[in-house]
Amino acid sequence: MQNLIDGILTGSYISLGAIGLTLVMHILRFANFSHAELLSIGAYAALVCDALVSALTPAFAAKLGPLSLTWSLMAAIVVSMIFTGLSAVVLDRLVFKRVREKGAELSMVFASFGMALVIRNVIGLIFGLSPELYSKDIAFAVVLSRDPLLLVKPDQVFVLLAALLLMLILHLILSRTTFGFSLRAVAENPALAQVNGVNLNRTIMAVWLIGGALAAAAGVFYGLSHQIIPVMGRDLVLPIFAATIVGGIGSVYGAVLGGFIVGIAANMSVLVLPAGYTPSIPFLLILAVLIIRPHGLFGEARA
Amino acid sequence: MPNLKLMLAGLGTALVLSTLGSAAAAQDCTTKIGAVLPTSVDWGRPIAETAQFAVDQVNAAGGAAGCEIEMVLRDTQVDPKVGVDAAKALVDLEGVNVLLGAVSSGVSMPILTSVTVPGGVLQMSCCSSSTAFTGLAEEGKTEGLWFRTFATTGVQSAVGAKVAQDKGFGSVAILYKNDDWGQDMARLIAADFAAVGVDVTASVAINDAQPSYRAEVTEALSTQPEALYLALYPAEGTAAVREWISLGGTQNMILANSLKSDEFRDNVGMQYLGNALGTDTASPRSESADAFVAAYQERFDAEPNGPGLANSYDAAMIALLAMEAAGEGASGAGVAAAISRVTDPAGTPVSADTAGFEAAKEVLAGGGTVMYQGATGNVRFDANGDVSAPAVVWSFTDSGTEEVEYISLEDVDAFIASLN
Repeated sequence: MQNLIDGILTGSYISLGAIGLTLVMHILRFANFSHAELLSIGAYAALVCDALVSALTPAFAAKLGPLSLTWSLMAAIVVSMIFTGLSAVVLDRLVFKRVREKGAELSMVFASFGMALVIRNVIGLIFGLSPELYSKDIAFAVVLSRDPLLLVKPDQVFVLLAALLLMLILHLILSRTTFGFSLRAVAENPALAQVNGVNLNRTIMAVWLIGGALAAAAGVFYGLSHQIIPVMGRDLVLPIFAATIVGGIGSVYGAVLGGFIVGIAANMSVLVLPAGYTPSIPFLLILAVLIIRPHGLFGEARA
Repeated sequence: MPNLKLMLAGLGTALVLSTLGSAAAAQDCTTKIGAVLPTSVDWGRPIAETAQFAVDQVNAAGGAAGCEIEMVLRDTQVDPKVGVDAAKALVDLEGVNVLLGAVSSGVSMPILTSVTVPGGVLQMSCCSSSTAFTGLAEEGKTEGLWFRTFATTGVQSAVGAKVAQDKGFGSVAILYKNDDWGQDMARLIAADFAAVGVDVTASVAINDAQPSYRAEVTEALSTQPEALYLALYPAEGTAAVREWISLGGTQNMILANSLKSDEFRDNVGMQYLGNALGTDTASPRSESADAFVAAYQERFDAEPNGPGLANSYDAAMIALLAMEAAGEGASGAGVAAAISRVTDPAGTPVSADTAGFEAAKEVLAGGGTVMYQGATGNVRFDANGDVSAPAVVWSFTDSGTEEVEYISLEDVDAFIASLN
């Protein structure tokens, strides 16, 4: 039980990261290995912003109830989402757009590998390699039941609710607005969408903005539950990719489900496997899905 | 002016030649010994320089076994392949009978099994701590050619068990880093806990670079131990311990020396580490160790703070003393057999410097034995070529760490003996 709950809570930030990745992979048609670095950018941007807001208005630095969250960090999350979304757009302008125009799909993959290394090391240069924390205090878990022992951290419940809220907003945008339709049109067939008056460049920009913003939220939530470290992108890239592939590339709902599946599987695995083998779980999931349903749970085949 | 320069240069050369000449006048031969050390990494260079320092002191005493000693140094680049090639070259081409090195256990091991044992060469490492060597020696596969002046991880695990016993913990869960060192530690500490009657409720591997350690921590936590033993590095240690404490795990913790770091203390938070006790091996508190520190400062104009310096010095010195004891033209096995004559607890004490080496020469020439009092104290090898070391128990303070207890070499040895 405990492992199941932990898995759902872990799954929430993996899902958020996977949504952005699946959109980018679907619309721009390349495996973006630097996506997880957007989580790092988001987490560090929030760290800086949190420190700034707390310094300027000390009243905001007080904790909210049982959470280790403060008003200043709440503000920082919003700022960081915008900042990270914009940095994703800038990255696209500086690197991916140029490569996209000249090179093939594979060049994009390699470019993203390169960007991942550059971003990770620049963050390391600026902030140092040791872990950072939003709050030095440890938020203690609340005991839900003694037997079987069930523990839940208030922060993680907040993370889950916030993640679900963001997903709901995204769902409404995609299914109810013209913008959502044009986004899906571009994903289906970019040329045809353009003929019908969809601005391709603007749509791509929007995809990066959304992907970056969700990644930032995921990064902050990860930092809140664990720690912020320059290599967090490297540690998270595999679960996020696994979630994307399990869910099916291009499917936002698949990514959400995939994130929870990966989170739960990783947490449940210690019941079956010795702890030393848990890193293999995302790989096994990817393999299993590719063998049984090559397009993922919600994915569709396309030429 | 060029002439003046030339004259000065000539004068200098003449001076150097004459000083060399006077030292070398006693012998007309040179014996080579080999050294394979990671000189291309910043902490490896001083280890090699310290070994050379010991060789220089011996040469000032007229060399060993009637000949001047030349230490031929090769770089391992901390790479087993490079290390084996270097060792092979030294043994096959330079014809050395004595090899100093390597530093990492992973490099020393293939050199031992594929170069020095087949070649009948004495191998003396300053810094390899893996208990795999002990196992190999127990099986007789080192043929008595393997020695090291660095205490094995066994010392640290024994002291960890002692802490649990002294604190009265009835049950302990272990979190260990999933690498050679961590697995070794976990295996040793579990056996040591069992020996002192402490129940090990869980032993959970922690892989580095994982996004979350929730599952691993939950697994250890579900066994509800009275204390937690951590054989982790600071990065994953911080993440795992914060998770552990936030889930209501006990703050009674025993830490391996790898967590003796400010990074770990700051990120976990001093307020949660009040009941954490760490273990570490220590340098001995003896006159000979202080004498080494003073001699090192005089020679290098710096404190011997790097890892393995005192151990490297003793490794070189003991090897050279054994060469002296074995006499001219001795084989590697002959030199290895003579090590017991220079580290004999009943022997004449000799200091670790030029004068000490000269004194040892006289005693050994008269058929006596000596007790080498070195930079790491009175070195004594057991049947497997291992040494023991004093230990400290430490705790975190607001500004760093402080010593809680110093456990002398005798007490460590007695405690380890009581475990078996």
